[in-house]
Amino acid sequence: MSGPSVLASDPYNLIITGVGGQGNVLASRMVGEMLSQLGLHVTIGETFGASQRGGSVMSHLRISEESSFSPQIPRGRAHMVVALEPMEALRVLKDYGNPEIRVICNTRPIHPIGVISGEQSYSPLENIKKWIRSLSREAWFVDATEAAIRLGNPVLGNIISVGGLAATDALPLTRKVFEAVLTRRMSADKVGLNLTAFDMGWAMIRRAI
Amino acid sequence: MYELWEAGEGVRLLLMGNEAMARGAMEAGVSVAAGYPGTPSSEIIENLAQAAWKKNIYVEWSVNEKVALEVAAAASYAGLRSMAVMKQVGMNVASDFLLHLAQYGTRGGMVLISCEDPGALSSTNEGESRPYAKMMEFPLLEPGDFQEAKDMTSWAFRLSEDLRTVVMVRSVTRLSHASGNVVLGELPQRRAEARFKYHGSIMDTMEGPIINLPGTVHVLRSSQQEKLKKASEIFDDSPFNRYEGPERADLLIITSSACTLYCKEAVRLLGLRDRVGILKLGTTWPLPRGLLERHLVRTERILVVEEVLPFMEDNMHALAAILAPSIGIKRFFGKLDGTIPMVNELNPDLLLKALCAILDIRYEAVSESYAGKAAEIASLGAPPRELTFCPGCPHRASFWSIHNALQLDNRDGFVCGDIGCYSLGAISCGFNTLKTLHSMGTGTGLASGFGKLRSFGMDQPVIAVCGDSTFYHAVMPALVNAIHNRSNITLIVLDNSGTAMTGFQPHPGLEKNALGQKAPAVDIPAVCKAMGAKVKVCDPFDLEDTLKSLLEMIEDEEGVKVLVLRQICALSPEKKGKKSFEMAVDEDACLGENCGCNRLCTRIFKCPGLIWDKQRGAARIDEVICTGCGVCASICPAGAIKKKEVA
Amino acid sequence: MPAFGPRELMVDVFGRDLCVACGACVDLCPYFRTYRGKTVQLFPCDIPAGKCYADCPKAEVDLDILAEKYWGRAYEGNALGHTLKIMTARAGKKAPNGAFQAGGTASSLIAFALQTGLIEAAVLTDQEGLIPVPRMITRAEDAVTCASSKYTAAPTLSEFNRALRHGYSRLGVVATPCQATALAQMRTNPLDSEYFRDPVGLVVGLFCTWALDTRGLISLLSRRLDPRRVRKMDIPPPPAEILVIETEEGRVEIPLGDIRHLIPKGCLICPDMTAEWGDVSVGILEGEPHWNTLIVRTQRGRDLVRKAEAEGWLVTGKIPDDNKDHLSFAAAGKKSRALRRALEEGLVNTPEGNGRSSLRINAEALQRIIRE
Repeated sequence: MSGPSVLASDPYNLIITGVGGQGNVLASRMVGEMLSQLGLHVTIGETFGASQRGGSVMSHLRISEESSFSPQIPRGRAHMVVALEPMEALRVLKDYGNPEIRVICNTRPIHPIGVISGEQSYSPLENIKKWIRSLSREAWFVDATEAAIRLGNPVLGNIISVGGLAATDALPLTRKVFEAVLTRRMSADKVGLNLTAFDMGWAMIRRAI
Repeated sequence: MYELWEAGEGVRLLLMGNEAMARGAMEAGVSVAAGYPGTPSSEIIENLAQAAWKKNIYVEWSVNEKVALEVAAAASYAGLRSMAVMKQVGMNVASDFLLHLAQYGTRGGMVLISCEDPGALSSTNEGESRPYAKMMEFPLLEPGDFQEAKDMTSWAFRLSEDLRTVVMVRSVTRLSHASGNVVLGELPQRRAEARFKYHGSIMDTMEGPIINLPGTVHVLRSSQQEKLKKASEIFDDSPFNRYEGPERADLLIITSSACTLYCKEAVRLLGLRDRVGILKLGTTWPLPRGLLERHLVRTERILVVEEVLPFMEDNMHALAAILAPSIGIKRFFGKLDGTIPMVNELNPDLLLKALCAILDIRYEAVSESYAGKAAEIASLGAPPRELTFCPGCPHRASFWSIHNALQLDNRDGFVCGDIGCYSLGAISCGFNTLKTLHSMGTGTGLASGFGKLRSFGMDQPVIAVCGDSTFYHAVMPALVNAIHNRSNITLIVLDNSGTAMTGFQPHPGLEKNALGQKAPAVDIPAVCKAMGAKVKVCDPFDLEDTLKSLLEMIEDEEGVKVLVLRQICALSPEKKGKKSFEMAVDEDACLGENCGCNRLCTRIFKCPGLIWDKQRGAARIDEVICTGCGVCASICPAGAIKKKEVA
Repeated sequence: MPAFGPRELMVDVFGRDLCVACGACVDLCPYFRTYRGKTVQLFPCDIPAGKCYADCPKAEVDLDILAEKYWGRAYEGNALGHTLKIMTARAGKKAPNGAFQAGGTASSLIAFALQTGLIEAAVLTDQEGLIPVPRMITRAEDAVTCASSKYTAAPTLSEFNRALRHGYSRLGVVATPCQATALAQMRTNPLDSEYFRDPVGLVVGLFCTWALDTRGLISLLSRRLDPRRVRKMDIPPPPAEILVIETEEGRVEIPLGDIRHLIPKGCLICPDMTAEWGDVSVGILEGEPHWNTLIVRTQRGRDLVRKAEAEGWLVTGKIPDDNKDHLSFAAAGKKSRALRRALEEGLVNTPEGNGRSSLRINAEALQRIIRE
């Protein structure tokens, strides 16, 4: 690739995190393919399997113009976190956060079993927001699940978040490339709904910037 | 993804390591692939199964890894290219046959892929299988990135045919389940022909019968030694062994597999590219002696980096001792001296720590104040997420009944567990019911033993649980053992119609196979009856019937009783999204924290679909998460949970 | 009185092996259950104050509180408890016929109480083989289906608790002394619930010296007979020293020495032989196999007996002095033995005592009892 760099840093380290079942893996694959289409080197590291049974899940995306990087981001080196669940943002920031990090956070909580059974408590959202802001340079909070429910399926929160990520311009993610990836991956009837979700997320973040 | 078998040469895709290996096998023209589901290996067979109808590949989910290896070997003996896929524990199941396969040799190229789980992210053990290559004397390859995952798998078939031996390809979670860029190769157009030739003499390894006998074994093993020597020579020149770094290095890192990427990252972050060299080995057994001799002279200090066992490290030490006269005495760092941890998986940070220790460098990932603040916030706001059964999981209902039956029986009875989603029966979501947990089929084997200890004064009721897939894999022989030896046990088969934990692959209990074709189902209750057990089938969602049946069985002290608890997995593709009931909580009837209930549903039953609303002092259904199985309505002491049948 | 809950119950009663399987804690909630005569806790409950502890007759019973509530005075420790009248009795012509152990007095009184609407349902104890099965009946004629003595510790009160949850509010119970004690505690509304209404319409107590653990008995007898085919059990008065079991195949005699080890530990510290906390108490009448001893304790018990006799459901007579003396002697003996043993095991509290014990009793009554 020639010309000025399209990445704010090289490698650019993105973490998409949430709870098993939220479509974390799909979101990271989408973003990865979008960037791969542009000719960038992409590595995605994931844990699935047992963690799907209600556990925390995390995808590490390494994006570079020069070479491939390890599927695990070193401590304190993430540039951007997309959290599909608020508590998971805090968990990620503990190991991979730094003062320059930026965070997009879905505000709908998924209660761990310990909270449901009364052994633990889920901190009030205001506290979580305050904490995330204190650990990042910039943070955006969106109710992606609520928006997804309005679209007809709560899992679409992951696509909405991808749209939001695109709106930050941290990475060269465009609607056009998203549509191309969608068309390759999904049947035609699903493409429209996913594009709408992407647009919704994009608008939600653009408004806040 | 259809591009995996459609896209042509030169196309650049973002592929999972497992997808890359599947593509590599297709590029080599593999004809037969067999395996047993196991994280992190399952996607290889899954992808080949999707491609099968287009690419004329026979793909099979075998009952267990030993049979999978045998099925693949049959194809190889008939002149086809074949492969077997499993995780590290599967290698142990296949090992008996593997020894014989290795000693006799192969005909069509045969590749054995072992995908391992360092750190036990999805296993009940942290084991590995590279030592099989050394112990049973066949070549071992370890891809270092996603491109190599494809290229080396493809090459492995040719290597196998060159040497006429099975070739092992070893992967790990951070390669198998991670994704990276891969440029595809060409897909062959040839059509394979199968024929098993056996008319040659007993010493003819390509056209004679395939038989090891006391008289012929030493001849075959000698020929094996020749193959290993030839492999070592091939490996000396292999492009999969690569050096990156200065001519003379302060430190030489020898590494393999996904660790390659960690090493590169650490060296880059510390700015050590002109001081530290990285020798990445793709061929790790037999060791490429000539190549290593050339590289070991670069430096006095060597750091060996690998996942799980110090396999390469031990072999390097041995080789260095032999080569000492020519290369000198070297200082080794690695797992044995604690520079790299012996336990748990590796990551770039552990490499950074190791390099800093060896080279006396300081490195701080983030400021201590940030790290401290973030850690404190996480401890307040992000408590760990305990694993649990999915909402609507039949295992939750099954363990509820099993636990209660044992409590009511009140003789300190216990359950021997096995491998699957139901392994979670060992923790609170399964009411801490399992009291032993090992490997596939071991629950029944242990129970068979426990059930014979009455003459030594043990009157505790003995129960074993297993899944439907586990039943075919390894439980059947143990069950025969228990029946024939009149062991006093109850076996509970948790039949949720699929191999759920690994992604819902089919097994012989279903009427379809890996290729999606109709297949005859082998009926578990019928098999148990034919073996001579007393058999009953219940629906675990019917708590009353299940409890009654269990109590009867554990009171019966004669022989083996089998209870099949049949209810489909909540995540089954057949069930997806369809609720049996609409659930709701009548807040006024809910007793909540009061004496008479004390939050039985949210404190003990703990289905994720139930939420304790502290403000309202009542339980509530989370409509997004609830799958409508209706079981919670049966346990509510106040009858406050209502279920309405969905049309 | 401070309130405790299931955690303390597990320590104080199950942990000390004092449970007599009376069923008082069973079916109040999902946690305590009974199966084949054994009471078990299915899951742990951490509630700080629970009905289970409050009702349990082995978890600190305050005899003075009970005596104050029911008799209006401190506990005195009389051998037969508070007594208005003691007499002989048996079923009258009008009462339904049944396989009575002795006189059929208990069955007749229950039947009459149902017939006249004093109670809307009665909780009795049936038997399947050797396994006691609590039963709730609503028709007078069904009272006789549960006639005949059961010598195994029966979780009768579990059915009482179930009946309450189904909305019954005037219940009769045929209760052993421990069960009657539990009911007496329950009726004091120990947890101070504002919704409490006394649901007990009648308690017919039964004399009891000790009971036997169901599972232990089944296990012991299984070698000699089929426990499912047992029809009747009886312990004849001394000096017989045997347990007689009538099965469908015939009669079997078991020496008491062979079964004494099956007596629950909780029975050995029980000071109550005649079910002191009921409206009436019924037992055998020595020397008269077809009659009962009947003790009347409360006004409503007296009214019931009078009416039943007037309408031909009961026949009563004067109790001979000898019988009365023997009974008092036996009852005093059980009281004294029990309290001595309870003292030895540190299970008795006087009003000053602080720990969680099994019995609380004023010092004068305690002294009087153990001196005899």
